[in-house]
Amino acid sequence: MSNAPALDIRGLSAKVADEEISILKSLDLALNPGEIHAIMGPNGSGKSTLAKVLAGHPSYQVTGGEALYLGQSLLDMEPDERALAGIFMAFQYPVEIPGVSIANFLRTALQARLGRGEELDLFDFQDQLLEAMKLLEVEPSFAERPVNDGFSGGEKKRNEILQMAVLKPSLAILDETDSGLDIDALQVVSNGVNTLHKENPEMTILLITHYQRLLDYIKPDFVHVMVDGKIVRTGGPELALELEKQGYVNWKPSS
Amino acid sequence: MADNSTYHSWLNEKRSHAWSVYQSTPTPTTKSEEWRYTDLAKLFPLEQITLEMGLVDSTQRPNREDLIEATNTAGRIQLTDGLVTNIQVDPAVDSQGVGLDSIQNTTHEKYQEIIRTNLCSHVLPPESGKFQALNAALWKDGVVIYVPKNVHVKMPIRGKHTLSTGNSAVCARTLIIAEEGSHVSYVEEFHSDDFSNKSMVSSSVEVVAHRNASVDFVSVQNLGRGIFFQVAQKSLVHRDACVNTLNVNLGSSLSRLDLNTRLLEPGANSKMLGLYFGDKDQHFDHNTSQDHLAPHTRSDLLYKGALDGNSRAAFRGIIRVHSGAQQSDAYQTNRTLLLSEQARADSLPNLEIEADDVKCSHGSTVGQLDPETIFYLLSRGFSRQQAERLIVLGFLGDVMTKLPHGAFRRVVKNVTDAVEQKLRHG
Repeated sequence: MSNAPALDIRGLSAKVADEEISILKSLDLALNPGEIHAIMGPNGSGKSTLAKVLAGHPSYQVTGGEALYLGQSLLDMEPDERALAGIFMAFQYPVEIPGVSIANFLRTALQARLGRGEELDLFDFQDQLLEAMKLLEVEPSFAERPVNDGFSGGEKKRNEILQMAVLKPSLAILDETDSGLDIDALQVVSNGVNTLHKENPEMTILLITHYQRLLDYIKPDFVHVMVDGKIVRTGGPELALELEKQGYVNWKPSS
Repeated sequence: MADNSTYHSWLNEKRSHAWSVYQSTPTPTTKSEEWRYTDLAKLFPLEQITLEMGLVDSTQRPNREDLIEATNTAGRIQLTDGLVTNIQVDPAVDSQGVGLDSIQNTTHEKYQEIIRTNLCSHVLPPESGKFQALNAALWKDGVVIYVPKNVHVKMPIRGKHTLSTGNSAVCARTLIIAEEGSHVSYVEEFHSDDFSNKSMVSSSVEVVAHRNASVDFVSVQNLGRGIFFQVAQKSLVHRDACVNTLNVNLGSSLSRLDLNTRLLEPGANSKMLGLYFGDKDQHFDHNTSQDHLAPHTRSDLLYKGALDGNSRAAFRGIIRVHSGAQQSDAYQTNRTLLLSEQARADSLPNLEIEADDVKCSHGSTVGQLDPETIFYLLSRGFSRQQAERLIVLGFLGDVMTKLPHGAFRRVVKNVTDAVEQKLRHG
């Protein structure tokens, strides 16, 4: 198991469940444990679809290929099984859950990770939550607010990374976490991700972003360019700068 | 001591009058707008229960004692089959002149006078409807709460209604009078076993909040199946006064709530909250009205429910801003979450506005659990069942967060537990 990549995607194809057109077209991608990868690409290239397919979103249907998580086939697992196995996706558009406080939400989520008959230590939980809130620079009262209900864009994204801090995934997929953030919030959120990665160097991170800006704050080991459902180029952080200068124009499929 | 025989004959005159109103009022049918969603002839034929007018001279005097170790309650009153059996009052509250007593058996002159002025007359007269008349004729006892000028009762008074047997009809009344500048909150709960024969529990509630007074009224209904729970609640809200209500419907087979709040003078305001959870073949019918009769008045209604199984809920709400009630704010929202394909909700919010400078909004939604929300929870490791439970509890619990905080912690917990219990069995 230790030799297996954290995520090994081979020839993955997928489409919207009740439509014909493929969005992911035989995509290949491998991430070793502890690495930070960034996928960049123009709108409509399929970046967010990849994130959702990996998390098991029911609106998408896999039509070919496979995705192995630590050597284990991911595609047959239910979304909650994937989460319990250590996969976390930070949503591009986090969902509002009126009446459910962040504290209650996270307590229940952690309890779900324990075996039958095991009880969550509430003091430990409280400490963890406070620490995570300090990391994301939110007031302690934040935990009593209903999940994302009436939150600003920045608060929603902080809340996603707050959840990541408490749930401690081994593979985190951040879907356009930088979108809708002002520069201060971007720094806080990036600092949160960097700190979590420092604390747990084995954690693998897949950043999905349209803009190079995020990569000024979170340094990826690898940058992939995705166009029309495929990875078309892979390089180091310098690739992001190149894209920033040239845009995605050169990468558009010829027809 | 008051002359109770004079008082009792006065009560009986009121009952006789109400009985004649009852007999001359036709039974509502679905042809009437206010009953279009609830077919009584099918769901609860009145002919099937024995309704007899009987005059009441006295019932057994309730036990009365001091409430000790009263940390979260100002007083308790217990009713069995509509008769007050026990009253406990915090001596500190009692010494401020706060009244908590049986309507039928009070010997207190002041309360008798309050009852004569207010009961079944200008607040909720028997002419308000068939069931309002029935209750006014058949009630045997009820709760009177009187709060003198400028007295603040900090902790809630609690009322508990239970049934010993499935009876033909149990009718109880509640009268709450809050004098100028006073505050009180009352939490009543209805519990019973399930009954195989049809039974009816009827409750008429009259609330008057005088100038600058505030009243919080919470009713939690968790009666057994087989019961028709019929409620009429009416509040009169004077200048700068406030009446907040929360009606929780969880039990019974059929429930019908007629709720009317009248904002009589400038500054009057009211929050009207409702929560319901239906399963199996339960049928809930809410008929609400918010009457703005003076300028600068405010009402805010929020009714939320979840329906499982074959259950059904109807909501018919109306905001009436009468002419001259300028700069009033009136809001009305009804949201229902359907948890099964067979459940059904009808919602009919309405506005009648005769003033031109007002802020009003009304809206209703009936929807299923949102798949995106479920996916969000699944992606955090919740099972589908846990996800649904959390969403429903959050959706309904949201209503209770609008309660004035602190004093109702126990109600919130009891209601949450009861909803969770229903979710487990659903």
